[in-house]
Amino acid sequence: MAAPAAATARAHALSLLAAANNHGDLAVKLSSLRQVKEILLSLEPSLSAEIFPYLAELHLSREILVRNSLIEIIEEVGLRMLDHSYVLVNVLLVLSRDEDPIVAKKSISAGTTFFCSILEEMTMQFHHRGKVDRWCGELWTWMVKFKDAVFAAASEPGYVGVKVLALKFMETFILLFTPDASDPEKISSEGGRQMFNISWLAGGHSILNPATLMSEANMTFGILVDFIQSANCSSGALTISVISCLAVVARKRPVHYNTVLSVLLDFHPNLETVKGCHAASVQYSIRTALLGFLRCTFSPIIESRDKLLRALRAMNATDVADQVLRQVDKLVRNNERAAREHWSGKNNKVINHQNSWDFSKKRIMPQGEDDTINGEVAPKRLRHNTNMHLTQQVQTNDSLQGPVSINGISSGNHPSDTELTPVEQMVSMIGALLAEGDRGAASLEILISKLHPDMLADIVIASMKHLPSTPPILKISLATPADIVVSSSINIMHSPTPPAQLPLEQTLPTGSSLSDMPSLNSAAADPRRDPRRDPRRMDPRRLNSSVGPTSLPVGEGRESVPAQMDISTLPSKPLSVPAVMAGATGSVHSTAVEHSQKVTGSSVFRIIDQPDCREDLTVPKEYVYPSKGKSSLDVPLSPRRDDEGIRETNFSGSETKCDLDLVSVPDFDQHSPSASFPDFDQHLPAASDINAPEESYQELAPVPSYVELTTEQSKTVGKLAIERIIESNRHVFGFNCKKICMALIARLIAEIDAGNDVATILREHISVDHREFKGHELVLHVLYHLHSMAILDTAESSPYATVYEKFLIAVARSFLDALPASDKSFSRLFGEAPHLPDSAIKLLDELCSTRHNPIGREICDSERVTQGLGAVWSLILVRPNERKACLAIALNCSVHSEEDIRAKAIRLVTNKLYHLTYIEEHVEQFATDMLLTAVNSETDLSQTGSIAEGIKTEAKSQITSTSDSLWSGNSEIHSPQDLQSSRDVSVLSISEAQRLISLFFALCKKKPSLLRLVFEVYGRAPKTVTQAFHRHIPILIRELGSSYVELLQIISDPPKGSEILLTFVLQILTQDLAPSTDLIATVKHLYETKLKDVSILIPLLSSLTKDEVLPIFPPLLNLPPDKFQLALAHILQGSAHTGPALTPAEVLIAIHDIVPEKDGPPLKKITDACSACFEQRTVFTQQVLAKALGQMVDRTPLPLLFMRTVIQAIDAFPTLVDFVMEILSKLVSKQVWRLPKLWPGFLKCVSQTQPHSFPVLLELPMPQLESIMKKFPDLRPSLTAYANQPTIRASLPNSALSVLGLDNGKDSRSQMHPSDAASSIHGAALT
Amino acid sequence: MRFRYAMVCSSNQNRSMEAHALLKRQGLDVASYGTGSHVKLPGPSLREPNVYDFGTPYKQMFDELRRKDPELYKRNGILQMLKRNLSVKLAPQRWQDNAGDGVFDVVVTFEEKVFDSVLEDLNNREQSLMKTILVMNLEVKDNHEEAAIGGRLALELCQEIEGNESWEDTIDDIVAGFEKQHRRKLVYSISFY
Repeated sequence: MAAPAAATARAHALSLLAAANNHGDLAVKLSSLRQVKEILLSLEPSLSAEIFPYLAELHLSREILVRNSLIEIIEEVGLRMLDHSYVLVNVLLVLSRDEDPIVAKKSISAGTTFFCSILEEMTMQFHHRGKVDRWCGELWTWMVKFKDAVFAAASEPGYVGVKVLALKFMETFILLFTPDASDPEKISSEGGRQMFNISWLAGGHSILNPATLMSEANMTFGILVDFIQSANCSSGALTISVISCLAVVARKRPVHYNTVLSVLLDFHPNLETVKGCHAASVQYSIRTALLGFLRCTFSPIIESRDKLLRALRAMNATDVADQVLRQVDKLVRNNERAAREHWSGKNNKVINHQNSWDFSKKRIMPQGEDDTINGEVAPKRLRHNTNMHLTQQVQTNDSLQGPVSINGISSGNHPSDTELTPVEQMVSMIGALLAEGDRGAASLEILISKLHPDMLADIVIASMKHLPSTPPILKISLATPADIVVSSSINIMHSPTPPAQLPLEQTLPTGSSLSDMPSLNSAAADPRRDPRRDPRRMDPRRLNSSVGPTSLPVGEGRESVPAQMDISTLPSKPLSVPAVMAGATGSVHSTAVEHSQKVTGSSVFRIIDQPDCREDLTVPKEYVYPSKGKSSLDVPLSPRRDDEGIRETNFSGSETKCDLDLVSVPDFDQHSPSASFPDFDQHLPAASDINAPEESYQELAPVPSYVELTTEQSKTVGKLAIERIIESNRHVFGFNCKKICMALIARLIAEIDAGNDVATILREHISVDHREFKGHELVLHVLYHLHSMAILDTAESSPYATVYEKFLIAVARSFLDALPASDKSFSRLFGEAPHLPDSAIKLLDELCSTRHNPIGREICDSERVTQGLGAVWSLILVRPNERKACLAIALNCSVHSEEDIRAKAIRLVTNKLYHLTYIEEHVEQFATDMLLTAVNSETDLSQTGSIAEGIKTEAKSQITSTSDSLWSGNSEIHSPQDLQSSRDVSVLSISEAQRLISLFFALCKKKPSLLRLVFEVYGRAPKTVTQAFHRHIPILIRELGSSYVELLQIISDPPKGSEILLTFVLQILTQDLAPSTDLIATVKHLYETKLKDVSILIPLLSSLTKDEVLPIFPPLLNLPPDKFQLALAHILQGSAHTGPALTPAEVLIAIHDIVPEKDGPPLKKITDACSACFEQRTVFTQQVLAKALGQMVDRTPLPLLFMRTVIQAIDAFPTLVDFVMEILSKLVSKQVWRLPKLWPGFLKCVSQTQPHSFPVLLELPMPQLESIMKKFPDLRPSLTAYANQPTIRASLPNSALSVLGLDNGKDSRSQMHPSDAASSIHGAALT
Repeated sequence: MRFRYAMVCSSNQNRSMEAHALLKRQGLDVASYGTGSHVKLPGPSLREPNVYDFGTPYKQMFDELRRKDPELYKRNGILQMLKRNLSVKLAPQRWQDNAGDGVFDVVVTFEEKVFDSVLEDLNNREQSLMKTILVMNLEVKDNHEEAAIGGRLALELCQEIEGNESWEDTIDDIVAGFEKQHRRKLVYSISFY
């Protein structure tokens, strides 16, 4: 279907072309042409190409407009199908010499477009495929012809208009093939098509030889200059055009500035003599050019300002010049402001593009001068040379901006590159400031001093990433012997490297091969990261200024020696480059270290501050980027420095590695001045020093730039770098410096993933410095950096997270090892670290609860525990995320088997943590659980296992309630302890019980209401546990002091089974202090209502009044003897204020008042109580007894036990006999014989107390006496004898005498006895 | 040859608009611009000019000034000028901000400062079209009378250039002849698109 249509279209086009060629009417011709163009554009390129030859014929048309249209068609169609435009290009070549100026001009214009397009196409093709299509090469040969034709047109006589365009073409040519550090900023701001630049050919090209082209560009420049100098141009327009073109060249390629300036200043045409030249305009064009220079701010122009101003003054343009200067200054200020705004994240990306590209020039110019100074060589050539090195990479980056992306793949990998990060913005801003020269430098200084060190370090690190791996060249003056060895070995290996490239660059071995494009591209995916804009570019100079000797590790230095051997074999085996490179690690170490050290130096930005020419001169020569260390650590392929990826690449086999190295080797080569020299040699025989590049750079020791390091090596390098930074830091004072160092170290650590090693390195530094908190700051810096990296890393297991963890732990351990326990650093570290991984919690737990070998470290450990617990506390306070984990540690410690750990932990928990409302509940729960564990332990031994299980799950439930990550580690910490506790539970010792309940009791101090639980569980608690309770309670009660309101509540309503405890508590409460009335009331109330056990009252008895005690006396008496004794003691003891509740006599009476018949105590209890009283002879003395008996005897009825007591009393105290007799006598008068319960006692007493009782007997009535006589026949003789005494007998009634049988003389004998009896009684009393 | 012309003064009000109106009336392809940062019109006193942004329609200025002080602005000719301007185009345009207007062949400026600005602006643009542009400066004082004269001179100059196929070859002669004929200084320069 398409084919016939295409054929029709083709036929139509051909007919139209015929019409365009042959039709008589011009309008028809032109409209036919337009239609042909439409057809061509609509057809397939190959089909269109078939029509091209016919189209091309039209160039022979006599109609100017037809030829003109033809060119238009060619431009429009040809550029779209470049590969078929061979015929068309040919037409352009012909028409560029057209007799009609308009056609010629148009042709030149179109040809220039083709020229650029083909150039780009060739470069792209080579970059993409390593070769150039044949058609492209052919087109290029035509383009070269075209160029020659146009150049010829410029110098040959002809139309001025054509010549003017030819000049413009020359200018374009110069710009194309003169290296430019053109700024991406500028390009983007121009928004248009970006011009090719010679630096695109940096990697070499199969067809295009940069060196040739550059020299040609130089020659062209020479031609332009000649135009002016020879005043060749008869036309004012021509002269003005030349001036204009030269001005453009000078402004865009600062290398040429000085030449142009001197040419323009020297231009004093004798214009009047030249016919037809408008002198004023020519003059004015010079003025315009000079003014244009004045507007530029790159340094050579700034330096020539005076010259410019003088010249302008001579042209009466002082005012304008001043105005321009003011404008420029204002611009600079605006830029500074914009820069600041940039920095403050306002996203103001407007940087004056003029300045931006001026900036690049600024840096290039000095190189040129440098070369002229250093070499005796033709300055022009050298300028090209150096410029090329400087810019080729840049141009590569720039090319990415172009419509054709070389970097399709790699840029796709970094979509985010399209957005500027703040760092990139900063980099570009610094670039902009640099472009402003002195003024910019001043403000840059301010800016940098204000810059956050993190930002600064990011800038440094970020810019390192995209650095070409240029060979760092050490100055021998700086180098230690080791360095020299290394560098000399490197020299050897240096030369073989170009051959290694040979496979890649066949015809154009100019210092760079296209193979490194991918790396460059990817590195350059973000134009803002353009290395040119990096402050770092200047850094090399710091090598000169800072005098840090390179102390190269000897071993590494030696390492490079075998490398030499490899190198010597290299030329024949190009692919062995990687091996060589790897072997050369040692040398790189040295440089890396050197660089890193320099980076941290305070002079990082000093360079920028002094943009004076001399300083700048050294830049191109050295190419020593501080980042070298960095780039050698990373595979430069990755602009993102994704370490993981890099490492993978590194290890993915030697083959890959080879590739990488091949890629990277030219990478450094292209920046190595010496490497590129030989290339120039081929094309520029004028160079005298070319043959001996080593000589010309005598004082430089070139070092191979790119070295593939193993992970191990890169770690070592990184370590060394950090050491250096720290070491140098020690000598550099100043806040900012340190901050920068910190930021740098942070990044380095992030890169090299060597937490442990680095921590070791840092340890000393940190501990030394920590007092000033610099070390701490550093560590935190590192941690935060790592953490942010880890967070940014989307991968689930970020390598940074590992690095972070390692580093944190390493530092923490080093603190523990190195610093005294009293040091707060550890806790501070954990408190302020951005995130605590599981291992940190684990470490903390170990610190708190693990006892190390007790030998020798006991004290230390105890302090460590304090330290750990202190850290735990602060973490609980400041880190909500880790709170539960830390709390778990603290709680576990609080039931630790080690008593001092436990005590410390309990102090922490109760005094500090328990106050925190957010964990109070948790603490309480834990303590309760532990208490219950203890209590339940023996109640059900068979369930021991399940209890342990319960504890475990409980611990787990704590665990799960917190963030998973923390607890996954924590549960492991817990479980051994849980198991431990479960084992102990079955055989719960008192110490074990103590362990479990201590915390709870400690909490009770803070919250007495918790005690209720103790009361509740007391009843079922095993003995060991209750013992433990009893140990704690006194302490607790004392601690509680008077504030036992809660206790009172418990007392008022004690749980079942807690009576003993309650009593115990009451005892303690009353032990030292008189119980409060509240307590008394409470206990009494309790006694009266719920608890009928009077024993609870015992402790209070001393505080009770007589009226209070008496009612409870019977139940008291009913208590077991020991309790009664206690109660008795309390009663008798009384309080200091009120005295005893009962006197001993009252006690006795009270005892006797008890009537056993009621539901009171049995008689036995009462007698026992009496006995108990009598046992206390010191209390119940003779007098007491007498008093009590005396009172009781008057009672009616007499107490039941009265006689018993009397007998006991007389037994205990025989001297009471007289008193007892009085009692008996009273009893007689009371007719004791009528009291059957007392009467036997009376009799017994009388019987026992004879003969003292005789008078009392005799007072008895006769029947009673008689019955006594009958009952106690033994009495009769002695009684008779007593009564027979004359004094007594006389007083006795007869009846009595008759009872005694003393009616007869018998009495006489018996009367003899009373004295004897009395004496015997007395004697008995005495014995 | 049909060239495209641009008349440029400072505020795109008086001189450039006078020339613009004139050239337009003569059928030339012409546009006009100002290079100042703002459009400034005389106010009640020297210190109180009326300042507008480029892009503010002439009509708006006209209405505003007529409302402010019709007498004054009629007397100093501003209103008449604005009336003329609004018949030519909508609003004053700034040269530097209108690079998108396309390619001009000839630019006539009426003040050295403006001339410099135009050249500088052209220099700062990307020059990739390989197209020459002739920039000429004709000093004209910024008043109505001079503007009228300047306009006529500009027209004459442009017509002269228009008569040539390729001005590059003849520009020196044209300028010299113009200077000689009108006794006015004329400066030209060549720049590129």
